[in-house]
Amino acid sequence: MRTVFFTIIFFLFAGSSGAIELTYWTSSNPEEIELGRLLVRQWNLSHPDVQVKMQPIPATQSSEEVLLAAIVSKTTPDVCSNILPAIMGRFTKSKAVLALNAFPDYEKAVIGRTGAKLADLFRSRDGKLYQVPWKCNPVMLVYNTAIFRALGLKPPKTYSDFARAAETIAADRNNPGRWAMAVSIKTTWWQRLFDFYPFYVAATGGRTLLCNDSAAFNSPGGVAAMTFFRDGFKKRYFPMLGFSGNIFLEGKTAMDVAGPWVIKYYRRLKPGFEFDFAPIPVPDNYKGPVYTYGDPKNIVIFATTKYPKQSWEFVKFLISKEADLKLLELTNQVPMRREIASDPFYGGFFDKNPLLRKAARQAQYVVPMDESQHLVQILDIISGQFEAAAVYAVITPEKALAIAAKKTQALYDYW
Amino acid sequence: MTTGDERKDAIGYAFTAPYILFLLVFTAYPLLFSFYLVFHSWDLITPPEYVGLKNFYFLMHDTDFWQALLNTLIFLAIHIPAQVVFSIMIAMALAEKIVAKTFFRAAFFLPVIISGAVVTILWAKLYSTDTGIFNQLLGLAGIAPVKWLTSTGLAMPSIAVMATWKNMGFYIVLFLAGLLNIPAHLYEVSKIEGTTRWQDFWHITLPLLRPTMLLVVVLSTFGAFSLFIEPYVMTGGGPLNSTMSVVLYMYKHAFLFQHMGYAATIGFALAAIILLVVLIQKKYLDSD
Repeated sequence: MRTVFFTIIFFLFAGSSGAIELTYWTSSNPEEIELGRLLVRQWNLSHPDVQVKMQPIPATQSSEEVLLAAIVSKTTPDVCSNILPAIMGRFTKSKAVLALNAFPDYEKAVIGRTGAKLADLFRSRDGKLYQVPWKCNPVMLVYNTAIFRALGLKPPKTYSDFARAAETIAADRNNPGRWAMAVSIKTTWWQRLFDFYPFYVAATGGRTLLCNDSAAFNSPGGVAAMTFFRDGFKKRYFPMLGFSGNIFLEGKTAMDVAGPWVIKYYRRLKPGFEFDFAPIPVPDNYKGPVYTYGDPKNIVIFATTKYPKQSWEFVKFLISKEADLKLLELTNQVPMRREIASDPFYGGFFDKNPLLRKAARQAQYVVPMDESQHLVQILDIISGQFEAAAVYAVITPEKALAIAAKKTQALYDYW
Repeated sequence: MTTGDERKDAIGYAFTAPYILFLLVFTAYPLLFSFYLVFHSWDLITPPEYVGLKNFYFLMHDTDFWQALLNTLIFLAIHIPAQVVFSIMIAMALAEKIVAKTFFRAAFFLPVIISGAVVTILWAKLYSTDTGIFNQLLGLAGIAPVKWLTSTGLAMPSIAVMATWKNMGFYIVLFLAGLLNIPAHLYEVSKIEGTTRWQDFWHITLPLLRPTMLLVVVLSTFGAFSLFIEPYVMTGGGPLNSTMSVVLYMYKHAFLFQHMGYAATIGFALAAIILLVVLIQKKYLDSD
């Protein structure tokens, strides 16, 4: 009995070595957990005085809900690397995150890595930078190369190209019942981040939804994107599906809209599946580089931290050149590092992973979502109008966007 | 009061204390806080801001709320009669001497204990317009696909059919208990009188099932007004808001848009509407 008692006491004291302990929350997908574990292990080995404890964000409907709950209950971690920039407005309003400008070397660490142009997209209205731009998943057109090869098709660059490809796919007598692409008919707000929004961004040359707290989407580019989806549903290029499941992998559709995170996912679910990436199709008269939604996730230091300096050092470690290579290798997501596609340090990796090189090149032409406390509701409004104008075609795209713009304005006026 | 009485009181309070504590923490406090929120704007992370009657004003002018209420009433109008009629019919069949009676009783109850989310996902796949099993079967018979969940006219009835199938087992048990409580001699007397089975049902079974019927209707009403998981999983409230229920709408405002004050206002409005509907039902079903 006495032996057990002293053993417990020994381990209790052995555990309290006097080292600072930081808590780090990462995304709960298996690849990012693996990355987090690796980086934390490396950090802990080289920093015995600042030990980091990693924890995946508890599984729920969305990470944002968990983070909001943690802010309310003041149980936020020191560092989190799964921050959707669009919800930063709420975080900064409630003073839940630290301004990184306070750290003297932030310019070198953040601007030096990301570049001022991209970093500015994440600057808050007060001019401060509360988030470290970390990684992105440029949303692109994914196409089944076997189907395209068999039908003699090239990846569509414009809406007309897309329509021609869709007609060819539908006319394929060997594979009746195959569609061009699956577009969710559900009105869940985030669904529009993988259909209307990237097409809108592409059609407008990189515009986001809002401009000075007003709707910018009620524009020719917005109408063009909405009309593209309306025509697709009308001409049966897209099936009426609430649940799309894996029908792209099953070969029931020839195209999909997704980011490079699907590379590992597709290869795991269907080894040997042939696919490639192409930029999002644009209106026929569009000129210039093709932009898209970047689906970025960033890093923040929460204001509840007792160790801001040590947390900042850990954040800098997470965005180091070597850590970015691990990010590419383990998650197939693209670090927001300028000129990464042509950086010789990553050349070997991109030579072995040409699909990722395409994504990295696209990453130079991405935009995030607007930082607005009403963003989810705005996307919900657009989703409702997308359903009315594109899926069921009961109103025109022009009217749908005008209604959405009016409702968006009402949000700012009322809430 | 004697010392013995006081001790008995203390023991009584001790026994009721856990319940009182539960009531205070999980019912009274949330209720009072929700009432406080009705007059405030609160986004969960910044302090609540007093807004007076602004939430009520918005509610009265919110066309989406009234659409959601109408949708819920449509669901109610299909679901409750279907539930009552089918539950009585099946309960009467199960009260008879039939083969494998226990199996059938268990089989009809099974959907009640299966997770609502699981059942809903399965039915969504069955209902799918382009890839669903229902339409594939109809296709074999040469019938064109039916837009079960993608037509504004059919989506809510389709959800009501699914919800009826899911919940019926519980009400079958209630009706079964009610049927078994009807004295057998009443049927024996009617048999001597030479009545038909329909007359037995109409003049004996149905009147004596009235208390059970009231219970079933009231419980179904509560359940129907709480319609959430089915539209949330199957349709997200679409097509064109035709399956947006009041509770789903309240959920969106509370947990998607963080309009906690407005969501609390919707909650109190819904409670008042349920009270009104139940009072009307009680008036018609509870009268002799």
